[in-house]
Amino acid sequence: MAKKITRRNFLKSTVVGGVAAGMGFGSYQITYGQAKKPAGPIKIGGQGAISGAHADYGWQMMAGATLAIEEINAKGGILKRKLELKFMDEELKPATAVKNVRYLATEWGADFLFGVDSSGSAMAIGPVLPEVNRLHFFCHAATHRLTEELVAGKGIKQIFRMVVPVYQDALVAWILKDMPEVKRIAGINCDYEYGYVAWNLFKESIKRFRPDVEFVAAAWAPFWTMDFSSHISAVMAEKPDAIFATPWAGEGVMLLRQSLMFGVFDKIHLWWQAMGGSVDLLEGISREIEGDKFKGKLWGTARYIHNYPVSPENKAFVDAFRKRWGKFPNYSAESSYSSIYAIKTGAEKAKSLETDKVATALEGMELKTPAGPRLIRKEDHQAVYTVPAGRAMKSPDYTIPILGDLRVIPAKDYYRHPPFTPVAATK
Amino acid sequence: MRLKTLLLILLILLLLLIPAFGGKYILYMAIHILILSVFALGFNLLLGYTGLLSFGQAGFFAVGSYACAKILLVMPSLLLGVIAGTLAGGISALILGYLCVRHSRIYFSMLTLSFGMMIYSLAWKWRDVTGGDDGLVGIPRAPLEIPGIFSINMSSMGNYYYFVLIISLIAIFIIYRMVHSPFGLTLKGIRDSENRVAYAGISIRTYRLLSFTIAGLYAGLAGSFLPPLENTVTPPIAHWTHSAEPVMVTLLGGIHTFSGPIVGSILFYIIKDIIVRYTQYWLILFGSIVILLVLVFRGGVVIFFTEKILPMLSRRSPPP
Repeated sequence: MAKKITRRNFLKSTVVGGVAAGMGFGSYQITYGQAKKPAGPIKIGGQGAISGAHADYGWQMMAGATLAIEEINAKGGILKRKLELKFMDEELKPATAVKNVRYLATEWGADFLFGVDSSGSAMAIGPVLPEVNRLHFFCHAATHRLTEELVAGKGIKQIFRMVVPVYQDALVAWILKDMPEVKRIAGINCDYEYGYVAWNLFKESIKRFRPDVEFVAAAWAPFWTMDFSSHISAVMAEKPDAIFATPWAGEGVMLLRQSLMFGVFDKIHLWWQAMGGSVDLLEGISREIEGDKFKGKLWGTARYIHNYPVSPENKAFVDAFRKRWGKFPNYSAESSYSSIYAIKTGAEKAKSLETDKVATALEGMELKTPAGPRLIRKEDHQAVYTVPAGRAMKSPDYTIPILGDLRVIPAKDYYRHPPFTPVAATK
Repeated sequence: MRLKTLLLILLILLLLLIPAFGGKYILYMAIHILILSVFALGFNLLLGYTGLLSFGQAGFFAVGSYACAKILLVMPSLLLGVIAGTLAGGISALILGYLCVRHSRIYFSMLTLSFGMMIYSLAWKWRDVTGGDDGLVGIPRAPLEIPGIFSINMSSMGNYYYFVLIISLIAIFIIYRMVHSPFGLTLKGIRDSENRVAYAGISIRTYRLLSFTIAGLYAGLAGSFLPPLENTVTPPIAHWTHSAEPVMVTLLGGIHTFSGPIVGSILFYIIKDIIVRYTQYWLILFGSIVILLVLVFRGGVVIFFTEKILPMLSRRSPPP
């Protein structure tokens, strides 16, 4: 006797049949392997913060990459193929950053990836890269864990970082080495991993040269802090001789302006603004520097500064960038520009676009970049290059303030080296 | 068989066949749409059925995500992770809901916003447990298994999609039955006139708390789907801007329809995903489209179609 088809049975059959059909058809699905793609342009997908208060960082990244791609395309491209760029908004949200990576790699068909401003986004993207199997060149995200934990520790070979991480922020230790008058140091730091690690690395470094210094106060400012008056008052109550500060971009500008209102620069010998050499920050305090409000006591560095090194490569890059965009490049522009050239060098050496081959070609390679020679360290895929520290000042040669009176410390002295020991990422 | 049932079966078939025809990214987006749908359906139990606007649902979503992530990091069992995440979302909603449901209207919304942001701060500051701003990384997409009975590998996106789809369909079915039960009618009664319901001898607070806890369970369930998908959990998922997503998709789809939040979730992802591909000024365009949709489709897209378009079509069709 024929079995009656009830709604329940029908639904049950639909679900079971659908899953089976889905799994069956799945085996015939088009895969996204790089080898199967027809030869067209080489697709390069990038992302950075291009909306919100930190949008200039993402814009600079896009501008640097665009410039490099235009230059390379004008000379015939890579392996006789032109380059095509798609740049997306990371929104400084890890979930968005991961979604962008998946879209760019699997839907748009990117051959290479680059960019990313936030450390959280970088750490979220890292574990996804083996799945999408694309090389990702990180151009900002400062966390040391990206290369130390994910590359050297977990062996994620798809990660390359072209920009110096938080190691750079401790550089002031080498300046304070020769300033015996500074004995009491206070910190105004970001209340998240970047601030904790920068402060801890600095304390570790300075103790090597100056065991006599005291860390008298530390104030912690959450992301998006715009009123630093309580932080400044708290640390100044301890009468420090020097201040170590990590707030960056617009927050750094606000902190420095507010410290002037508190008369901080009359009472200290040195203020270290870790990312004080970034173009956006120097532009933000341009009038104060021109008026010598900081009394020559404001020092900083960045992950690249446009007036160093004095080399034909750097001059050509800065001139081309200014001609193309009418602005000075900051470090995210230089690192994205260098990332595109790293892709070119790696692919041409490997004579292939395949992830493994390009990665192997790049390991241990020294690249000529605007920031100077960059060594791609084999163990952690971290680019090693030197960026000096300097004093914020006005120069007749530039339309915006620069870091001058440069102190060049070799990168090998202030970088951490494998095998890595953990850095305290707590207050 | 009624047309509605047939359409439902076709829709389920279509969902089941996505892995066969869609690429990896389509699957990934489909999972995200399912997550937001479950999240928004739970939220709409509060807004659409109970009349309470919560701005803290992202907090419970995050509790679910972090609980699932912690379980998966120490014990690779997907089922355990999802159950723990769902329960954690529900329990935290029960505790905080006890303090919130005493109030209504703006006071309720402000309280939920505050508690939600407290969870966000906790996720940001409690580094030892949550990993701070970097969050928890390297979360495995553990197999779906009951030791000694079965084990299904979830490393492929297709398998994970089926897992999320089936659990989501069950969750949708449960909430559908719930809102069409006397319990659902009571919630609607509270929404429309809480005094009348109170005079009938029903405890308003208890029902509100139940609704809040169920919404928390759904937020926790949606949150627990995320760590195995992304391999990471970070504090922004607890931020109030994430709480605004279910609000937006529910308004877009329709507050007073069951399927409104699901339709809103699909529209939200499709619109956003298409716009971000073509312009860096996506926020302006996205905002303008959402404003336009809300203004044009008063009461939501679903209401617009069921009350305006369908009657118009049936009037035009020739008499039998």
